[in-house]
Amino acid sequence: MGLEIGTNPMDMNAIAARLVADFAAELTDVRVQEPDTVVARCERAALKDVARRLKAHPEIGYQTLNFVAGVDHVRHLESVYHVYSWKTNTYLELHVEVPKAKAEVDTVCDVWPAADWHERESWDMVGIRYLGHPDLRRILLKDDFVGHPLRKDYVDLVENHPHA
Amino acid sequence: MRYPKLEHFQEPNVITTTADFIFSWARSHSVFPFTYGLACCAIEMLSSGFARFDVARYGMEVFRPTPRQCDLMIVAGTVNEKMAPVLKRLYDQMSEPKWVIAMGACATSGGPFYDGYNVVNGVDKIVPVDVYIPGCPPRPEALFQGLLELQVKIQQHKFVAETPKPAVATPAPAAGKEV
Amino acid sequence: MPDQFATAAPDEAVKLALQRIEESTARGEGSNVEGLAFNEVVVNMGPQHPSTHGVLRLVVTLDGELVKDVIPVIGYLHRCKEKLAEKRTYYQYIPIVDRTEYVAGMNCEWGYVMTVEKLAGIRPPRRAEFIRVIMAELNRIASHQVAVGTFTADLAPLGTAMVFYMFRDREYILDLLEEVSGARMMFNYFRFGGLRYDLPDGWVEKCRDLMKRLPKLIDEYESLVQDNAIFLQRCVGKGVITQQDVIDYGITGPCARASGVAHDLRRTRPYSVYPELDFEVCLQSHGDVFDRYQVRMDEMRESVKIVEQALDMLPKGPVQLGSLRAPYVITPPPGACYTGQENPRGEYGTYIVSDGSRYPYRLKFRDPCFCNLQLFPKLLSGNRIADAVAISGSIDLVLGGIDR
Repeated sequence: MGLEIGTNPMDMNAIAARLVADFAAELTDVRVQEPDTVVARCERAALKDVARRLKAHPEIGYQTLNFVAGVDHVRHLESVYHVYSWKTNTYLELHVEVPKAKAEVDTVCDVWPAADWHERESWDMVGIRYLGHPDLRRILLKDDFVGHPLRKDYVDLVENHPHA
Repeated sequence: MRYPKLEHFQEPNVITTTADFIFSWARSHSVFPFTYGLACCAIEMLSSGFARFDVARYGMEVFRPTPRQCDLMIVAGTVNEKMAPVLKRLYDQMSEPKWVIAMGACATSGGPFYDGYNVVNGVDKIVPVDVYIPGCPPRPEALFQGLLELQVKIQQHKFVAETPKPAVATPAPAAGKEV
Repeated sequence: MPDQFATAAPDEAVKLALQRIEESTARGEGSNVEGLAFNEVVVNMGPQHPSTHGVLRLVVTLDGELVKDVIPVIGYLHRCKEKLAEKRTYYQYIPIVDRTEYVAGMNCEWGYVMTVEKLAGIRPPRRAEFIRVIMAELNRIASHQVAVGTFTADLAPLGTAMVFYMFRDREYILDLLEEVSGARMMFNYFRFGGLRYDLPDGWVEKCRDLMKRLPKLIDEYESLVQDNAIFLQRCVGKGVITQQDVIDYGITGPCARASGVAHDLRRTRPYSVYPELDFEVCLQSHGDVFDRYQVRMDEMRESVKIVEQALDMLPKGPVQLGSLRAPYVITPPPGACYTGQENPRGEYGTYIVSDGSRYPYRLKFRDPCFCNLQLFPKLLSGNRIADAVAISGSIDLVLGGIDR
């Protein structure tokens, strides 16, 4: 009853091929990670459009966002979106590279409402600014915390430890 | 008519020591703990309040959620920089006499998260602690041992403290000679 | 002398709540009472509160008894777990994962260990897989006992006998888990490629004994509240999570199954030996507070069935791969991996990025309660404050996972 899972089971390679065919320009480096994830890379500028089309895809609609993770690879930052498709019962892991100098990327809150708090956490921890987010403020740390702790160059500051 | 108060006495005497004994006995056997369970230790604190490990046998089953009605704050869990001002305010809102137990490794000294950027290494950096209970989490029996130590501490409360007498100069013994 | 009567200065969340009141007043939705600009009051619930199940702070905008808006503020238990992962080796990090969702330690450990094993390409022996299932399911029962017990304790502050019965029986399960791992709550039992210890002698009989007694005990719990008119009135029809909410917000676990969505990772994305075990996915249809309670009670019964089957099918053999000792130093090849595991609260996922060294490069937890908590403003608005307490109890939050 209710929402069905796996109504359109597709082979992983078939899913990857379909994504390559439909998103030829925007998604690069599409590969299959057994047993159930397709990993792809997306350009920062095309993210919003790709997100909308991924969600509305007729055969593999990626309708649910699992999480958004910010990762600090030392030369650049990365925003990882992990989405789930109910129809095929598979995941897609979307990597979006974000330059450190201008750490901004479009929000996907209007596509996947679950992104709200995940993006706030990514901003809080890694310092990636999500443009268009309705309420981008710190979520886990106190409001006057200085710095973004999950960056590799974060140094523990005295201002952040008034009670040490 | 003016009634003599205990604090009017200069030195402890049989009245103040008897009052000490009675009031301290009463206080130590009916402590009202403050439910300040923050993290995993809170679940062990809850377990110690329920059927198998029954904290009611020590008179401490009345866990009040408001600090105004409590004597004892059991800090069970990690305190971090965001929570620290809240903890200080709640401690200030408790009325005297009040005691604090730091339950668990995190409240004692930061625990397994001691090198976190957001963790306060021990609640004694914020409020004065009377009893430390190590463990991660401490078993309910360990919590009880801590509560019993606290009872001993409560029973040492004095209304009128002994004034320290001035030291009498004693000559230092000559080196090498037996005293 | 500290001023114990001073009001704290409004922080970001309270300022946001006041700002929203101003905006709604400016839109013309102010008060209809003579002399008042607006009806609402901003009240702070938490972070220290008997009913918020941990250090959750809710900045509630109330109009009398009606909740107009809720702004959850979290982070009061943020223990820097994701940063600590980068400072500890994979092996040293196992006890810290226990403390994420501290009520369901075995499940959390399994989620982490499974991801590292997938990255490193390790498969544990069969006996270890079955024992892992047994431990996870026992911990699921214990976790649901805490969840439902504290939920009923919220409805009437410790006034229901249910919480006492549940915690009493949880002690039997914790005894079993303590015999196996040495600890009542923070087990530190799972290892990469197996488990730390094998089952002690006589454990299987004790476990079977308890599994025979548990269904009657679960019936006893239900009999305490099932026919209580007040319980039903407070729970039925309140806090409905729709299927669209489940899709939009990524709600998983009993909250999703109570809304009729058959999302149970043990069936939809099976891992370990779950394909060989026979159990049902517990579903309800309305998605209200009562259905979430009912799903948890049913899941306890299903877990008993799973444990009994696993005990019957338990093969002989080692619980560790290869040599006697667990691999203390493990260096998975560079790459990234995510696995989701069915925690008592939902899909508990671990995303690990490895750079080939002994330390994880980045570790991210996908916590089910973090995702479920996003629904709070929508779920609690329009209800009375007493219903808000019941609804938040039924979502089953553990702040250790939300704040990490």
